[in-house]
Amino acid sequence: MIEVAKKKELRDLQEQQKKQEDQSHHENFVVNALATWNKEILPNWDNMRNAKKVLELWWLGLPPSVRGRVWKLAFGNDLHITQELFEIFRCHAEQKLLNNENSKSRLRSEDLAAKSQNFVTDSVVDLITMDVSRTFPSLGIFQKGGPFHNVLYKVLGAYSCYRPDIGYVQGMAFLAAVLLLNMEEIDAFICFANLINRPMQMAFFSVDQPMMRAYFLAFEVHLQDHLPKLQSHFTEQGLTPDLYLTDWIFTLYSKSLPLDVASRVWDLFCRDGDEFLFRTALGILQMFSSELMKMEFITLAQFLTKLPENISEENLFQSIANITITREKFNQVLTEQTQKVLQLYPADKLKQHPTLRK
Amino acid sequence: MDQNQNCHKNNEFLFKVLIIGDVAVGKSSIMKRFAENVFDRKYGSTIGVDFKTKKLKLGGKAVKLQIWDTAGHERFRSITSAFYRGAHGIVLVYDVTRMETFTNIPKWLQELDLQDYNCTVKILFGNKSDLSSERDVPRETAFKYADSNNMFLFETSAKTGNSVNEAFEHLVSRMLVAFHEAESTATKPILSGDLSTCILSEQEKIIAGSGCSC
Repeated sequence: MIEVAKKKELRDLQEQQKKQEDQSHHENFVVNALATWNKEILPNWDNMRNAKKVLELWWLGLPPSVRGRVWKLAFGNDLHITQELFEIFRCHAEQKLLNNENSKSRLRSEDLAAKSQNFVTDSVVDLITMDVSRTFPSLGIFQKGGPFHNVLYKVLGAYSCYRPDIGYVQGMAFLAAVLLLNMEEIDAFICFANLINRPMQMAFFSVDQPMMRAYFLAFEVHLQDHLPKLQSHFTEQGLTPDLYLTDWIFTLYSKSLPLDVASRVWDLFCRDGDEFLFRTALGILQMFSSELMKMEFITLAQFLTKLPENISEENLFQSIANITITREKFNQVLTEQTQKVLQLYPADKLKQHPTLRK
Repeated sequence: MDQNQNCHKNNEFLFKVLIIGDVAVGKSSIMKRFAENVFDRKYGSTIGVDFKTKKLKLGGKAVKLQIWDTAGHERFRSITSAFYRGAHGIVLVYDVTRMETFTNIPKWLQELDLQDYNCTVKILFGNKSDLSSERDVPRETAFKYADSNNMFLFETSAKTGNSVNEAFEHLVSRMLVAFHEAESTATKPILSGDLSTCILSEQEKIIAGSGCSC
């Protein structure tokens, strides 16, 4: 008995030492990486951005304290949004919120004059307010009364004034929240607007169905290339990518993966572009492929719309590393599938279509 | 999504049920309460669709429900309406503390009509009934509306669990009735339906026809 206990004690001690070593190894790595980012890469961004050494370091994930700065540089500001422009839209958004609250309290007070004047509440403002409170609820900082509640409303409200044609679409709250966790309000707004302006995000957030369909079809091509057995299992079960990819793409994995893992996905999405979103999806599918192969439709759908909470970052990125989709291949497949969709949709519908018309 | 054809074997039924309704009326909470008997105040908004299953026994029949919880945002309606296909039951949810979510119910019904799902069993949930001091939709108005549209209304509370199970059980019983009606009016024997249209688990390997009595 004593022998066994002693052995266990020794094993526990060794495990603990190993953990401590790993921990300090990781800390050393972060300190070194941070120094490299701060002293070498960021001051020479334009020259170093695509250097092999930088890309390799980037793959390992950005240290949280430089994350916001790197994202800002990577997303860029093609839209030339300035502080002044943001202020204008922010003021509009705040005014709308105020008006909305006034209308509501007058309607609540059974003020007949208010009712006869047909006071209406702004549905976009209502929608944003409701959604802000439902963003990362477990963090407890975006909820009413929380430190980030108002600022998240401001960024989303300002955007809906800036692009009334797009307005507010669910999923946006998660994106703006991830940005706000890493940078100041103005930078978050600039990154947000430029992020939504990218082709894939624009297709989804403007709910451009033909283009969304083209992306889903393109994904299936890559799924067939990389995981053919899983693809045919999904087809047999009737599981189409729209069922799980919709959430992953709209929220850039921030809702479905643990936040630190999702942040690393964002790091690489900044580095590589849309193809990384597909690689991540395939990485997830590959990581769980043996389990997925045994599941029937409803279990698959449940599993993929609610991934295990303890997903391992190391295993996931190992799995993503096995999936290669080059920019050329990504674009080529997307163009082919877009052409296919062109033939599927009635010509008169496509005439009005902004992208496909070309 | 062919696996969603009505399927039954040895009195085991598989039904697809969709939950629809405006943003933040409590669709996901209703699903979670019914499927897992829990209420989680910290529930993020649904993007696209979420799923749960629930098995229950009703009148000696074993029923498995496949519940599809859809995003409520109007902008997503073109995406989510694709999920309506093959649904046997539709749960329409409004929030008793927000009148606009109730006045939008006809829009949701219209959406179903457009998709030609008139034959699906529909049921109305007036959720958040526990918030009695904030009530905005009078009971009488809602019941009258439900009645004139040939729907059953249950005022539910996902938070307390009030009436949630009862409402789903009622929906199941009506889906079973609809299924048997379809079976008896079907022109061909029900079990000779197209086998390839249904993909099922081991226990559920036989399909019945997908006829509709209305």
